[in-house]
Parts: sequence; C-alpha cells; structure tokens
Amino acid sequence: MPDLFSCLMKEEWRMHSTMFGSISFALFPVMIFGIVFMGSFLLPLLSVAFPAGDLAFLAHASFLLLGFMVGGFGLLGNEMMNRRFGQASLLVYSSRSLPLSERFIFTNFVVKDIVYYFFLWVLPFGGGYIAASPFFGVPLTRALLLLTLSLSFLLGLCVVFLLSSLYVRSKAACLLIVIFLGIAGGVYTIWSGTNPTLLFPPYLLYSAFSWMMFLGTTIAVVTMFLASVVLFSPEGTGLSRTYRRRLGRLARVLSFLPESPIVAKDFLDLSRSGIGIGQALFSFVLPLVVIWFFLSLLRSSFPPNGLVVIFSLTAGIIASTIYTWVTEFDSFGPYSCLPVAVSTLIAGKMTTFLFLQVLPAVFIGTVAGISAGPEMIAPAIVLCLSISIYAAAVMAFLCGLSPSVLVYDVRVLLTYLVLDGVALVLFAAVSFASSLYAFLSVFLLFPAYLLFRAAGARWDARDPAGI
Amino acid sequence: MAAVIETKGLSKVYGDVTALDSVSLSVEKGTLFGLLGPNGSGKTTMIKVLTGQIRPTGGFATVLGLDAEKEGIRVREKVGIIPEQESPPSFLTAMEYLEFVGAVRKIPDIGERAEKWFELLEFGDKKDVLCKDLSRGTRQKLMFAQAFIHEPVLALIDEPLINLDPVMQDVVKEFLSDYVRKGNTIFVSTHILEVAEEICSGFAILHKGKLLHAGSVADVTADGGHLPGFFLSLVRKGGHA
Repeated sequence: MPDLFSCLMKEEWRMHSTMFGSISFALFPVMIFGIVFMGSFLLPLLSVAFPAGDLAFLAHASFLLLGFMVGGFGLLGNEMMNRRFGQASLLVYSSRSLPLSERFIFTNFVVKDIVYYFFLWVLPFGGGYIAASPFFGVPLTRALLLLTLSLSFLLGLCVVFLLSSLYVRSKAACLLIVIFLGIAGGVYTIWSGTNPTLLFPPYLLYSAFSWMMFLGTTIAVVTMFLASVVLFSPEGTGLSRTYRRRLGRLARVLSFLPESPIVAKDFLDLSRSGIGIGQALFSFVLPLVVIWFFLSLLRSSFPPNGLVVIFSLTAGIIASTIYTWVTEFDSFGPYSCLPVAVSTLIAGKMTTFLFLQVLPAVFIGTVAGISAGPEMIAPAIVLCLSISIYAAAVMAFLCGLSPSVLVYDVRVLLTYLVLDGVALVLFAAVSFASSLYAFLSVFLLFPAYLLFRAAGARWDARDPAGI
Repeated sequence: MAAVIETKGLSKVYGDVTALDSVSLSVEKGTLFGLLGPNGSGKTTMIKVLTGQIRPTGGFATVLGLDAEKEGIRVREKVGIIPEQESPPSFLTAMEYLEFVGAVRKIPDIGERAEKWFELLEFGDKKDVLCKDLSRGTRQKLMFAQAFIHEPVLALIDEPLINLDPVMQDVVKEFLSDYVRKGNTIFVSTHILEVAEEICSGFAILHKGKLLHAGSVADVTADGGHLPGFFLSLVRKGGHA
C-alpha cells in the first residue's frame, strides 16, 4: 500500500506540475496561504457587517464544497482521464496490467486525494488564518479551525465518494437517496423552523468543541469512506455497447449552428457517458443546495432580496463550470486529423455550454420564485446567466480547452479571480441597491464576447495541447 | 514532376529537445513515400508540422502548394491524416464517427462511402459499437476509413499497419499501392523497414531530427541490396555515411 500510495502522489503532482512547471505549481499552496493570511487582516473590518461566526460558517461551507468538487473530479472524471491522458496511462488503471485489485487501487486513490488536497488547499488556508490570528487578537485556540475545516473537506469528499460508488451500482438508488435527503432537509426546516445546516458537525465543533461530537463526526467520515470502498464496483470492462445512430439527426436539427457536428457530439458524449447527469447532480445541484442552506443563515446580514442576489451570483459562478464539463472529454487530439481549428472547437464547446445554461436558469428561477416571489425570477436569471457566461468566457480565454487543469496555475488563477471578482463585486453592489439593476449585468455579455473572440485567436496561435 | 510536399530547413524544438533539425525534403506527386527512422527520430513531429497541427520553429513547409504553418486548416481540408496514437472520440459509434467526419468535411454521400469502407476493411458488424469499446485494430481501421473517405490527393499516415492482423495488413498494402497508381500521393511514416521496401518508391531517413538520406527504394535494391540493411548501416554510423 505505501508504494502504490507514494506513486499515486507522485503521479498527481507530476500531472499538475508538468502542465505549468514545478515551481509555478508549488507556489499554488503558498498563494492560498498568502491570500488567507492577508485576507485575515480584513476580518476586524468585515466583522462589522458579518459576525465572525458567519464568516467561519462560510469557510466551513467552502471546504465542504471543495470536498464535493475534488471527489467529483476524481471519480466522475474516469472517462475524462481516458480521453486526456490516453487509456491505461494512469496508475488508477494499473489493475489491467498488474496484480492489484481495483478495490485496493480505489482505496489508495481516495487516501491519496485526501492527503494531496489537504496539503494543496486545507493546510495553506488554515495555516494562513492561524499565522495571522495573533496580529488581530484572535486566540490561538482558534487553531481548531484547521481541524474543523479538514473535517468539512473530508465530509464533502466522502459523501461524494459514497454517492458516486452508489451511483455506479444503481443510479436510481443514488437519486432516491439524494431526493430523500433533500426532502428530509426541507421537512426538518419547515417542522422545526431551523436551518438544517446549523447541524453541520464541523461548524458545531468549531463553535463549541466536544469530544463526543468530534468522535461522532470522525466515525461518520470513516463509515462513509469504508462504505464507499465496500460498495465500489468498477464499471464493466470488455462490454461492447451499441447505440442507434443519433449524431447525423442531431447535427441536422442543430444545423443552424456553424459548429453543429461538434455540439451534437458533445450532447451524445454527455448523455452516453452519464457524466451529464453525474455532473449536474454532484457539481451543480448538490453544491448549490448546500450553499443555499448556508447562505440562508446569513439572510439578516443582507439587504432585502440580497440573499437571492448573492445566491444568483454564486450560482452563476458554479454554472460557469459547465464549460469544464463539455471540455473534459476532448483534448484537441481526436480533431487534429480534421480541418478544425482550436478556435472552432472552443466555439463549439461554448455553444454547448450556452445550451446547457437552461439548467441554471430553471434552477435559479425556481429558487428565486419560491424564496423571494415572482418579481425576482427574471432579475435572478439574468444575473446568474450573465455572470456564468462572462466567467466561462474568462475561463476560455485563460485556459482554452483545459480549464479544469490550468486553474492550478497561479497566474491563471489570480487573473481569473481578479476578472471574476470585479464583476461579482460590481453587480452585487448595484443589485443590492435595487433588484432591477440586476438587469444591468447583461452588459457583461459584451466583454464576454470580446474575451471569447480573443480566446480563439490566442489559442489558435499556440501549438494545441493534447496532440 | 511537381512536388506535393516541400520543406526547406524545417526545424522544431521542444524546450531542450530538437525534434527536427533543418530538414529539407521534396516529395513528388504520385509516389508512395516512406519516412523512416528509429523511435524518437522526429517522424511524428514531421507529419504534425506538415499538416499544420504544430508550428515549426524554423524553416518552412509547403503541402499541395499551401504554407503548412499559415494555412494548416486548408492543408487538413485537402489531405487525409492518420495520426499515430489518436483514437476516435469515445462516445460516438464507428458509423457516427464517420458521419462526424463527413459533416466536418462536408461530404454529402457519407453514408454510402462509409459502407464501402466497412466492407473493404471488414468491420461492418462494429458500425454501431461505441468507439471506446472497439479493439485497437478496429479503431485503426476506422482511422484509416476517416483518412481516405474524402478521397484526398495526398494522405499522411503515421504507422499505417500498426495493430492490424496480417490479412488486413495485406488488404491495406494493396489499397495503398492501388491508390498511388491512380495518381495520388501517400506519405507514410514507419519504422517497419520491410513494409517500406515492399510498398514505397521513395524514402527518407530521419535520425535524431536530422535528414540522413533521401532517395528512391529502387536505387538501394538495384544491386541486390535491402532497405533494412541500408537503413541500419546509416543509422549505426550516426549519419556519417
């Protein structure tokens, strides 16, 4: 086990570091540390508007989401790994050539993800806060944050591993459990008048540490981890799946688009791989439901309708990651023998992305309608989609066809954060003033268009990755 | 005869590695031309540069009179390409992949053409199977079909017989020879020297990115010589022939 584990760690490191250089990637946790360290000095100012407890709550929610996302990338990205790095090129596939069971590899893979991302994200974040805390008068006992953030991350990771193990065995059972949990949360909220996220164990531990709760949370993490290993069932290999021809018909239906074959292919990729449903569930609906519950606790800190505004902006950022769903399948390789430019491929992916914006539009429209009334539906949808399209255009410009890996480049990530951050702050401010001003966010479509055009020219001028 | 491929001082450097080192080469129309070389000699890079997939760092290349660097898309419109390692997209069926190629290349009768290829390469029973579930050999057949389905005047093929069984290798060799007899040109990169000797009329040898030799197979075999022996002696001398 130690040998495989260390090899998996090396492989993960090299996969990232070869893409943008060892030093650049090594700086990533340093950057997280630096941002949190410096950001911590703003806490006394922020605490005027936000109670310190709320900020801690948001930090825990963020790490829960980080766990969701790391887990989702690791497992649902199976096909993506195949496409990007070639079949059987990763250690996770070594059961095909070495006397190692897939369950054994999976266990190592999960442990590797936990350790790797702990050092990449959790430790620098907690460390930055702890290092800064003496300077603004927070007692060092708040170092507990590092532990509780780690537990948040682990809970998110293990929930997704468990659900995805279940998903491979029975999609229906997995969906039923998610629906059941959603209904249970809703019923509990209505029945008790209490937001269920207040029961989130890591946050409770942070607020008032008790050994019993710590033990209970640890047992929950370990149980979910073991259950996901037991339930893990590698997807059937050696099966020849056949399908009726759909591409031609779909491309004809979409023939009004210049990149109709690429868009039609993307839709077939998403539906036949199961990644469309998996991503929609684990990378969109689930994180947003959790965010909603967390944000709703802060309702009193926002102006009227402010909660829906903030949620729309958050949903917009998460919806922009749909661009990563549609780029996960392809490197440029399979297109390199055809008269297709990288810019054409980006345009095709962006078109598919725009179609899939129906999902966030319906989601945010429903949430806004239920929580703030019908008058907030249109502003929420416009705000969410404008941010989403703008952020996706930023991603396309900065990362081309590799957004899910290039984001670990420090320069790329900082530029992404600045470009998105300016838009978020600006439109949060104006939409707080009046929800009608949310419609002003359509003006983001102009820079989005320019960025998209520039993305094509930028990535056409480089040797494409993946060939 | 007119040259369909012409390179002058063509170079490609990746970081510290020189994949192509000032290669000047000319391939005439109507030849089956073999680009030979050991592993890592720059053959695959050469095909990528010629088809505008990557840019040279020095020199230039024209393919069918087009600048490969500046008009890469137009080059790929006109030629057929079989890359060495690429597979067709995972979640399309074999037939759908050819439909996809037909849509991108704007081929109107793609269905009929595809059927001919399924028949010639004997994999019609796999046409509705997902590409990811096809065997390597069948994927190679599919890549072969996509490269020739628009009947290009020039095809650039990286290791054409890889993963094919002996019967299918024979079918493919015959097809290639016949295709050239019709006046088309085929540029084959391979390190299987016996095959090159059997089917190629012209050849060039690359070693460590440098062009060691370019000439006709007939010249080498005229006095009872063999291409493998010629190749090995040249490469072992490290290019000091």
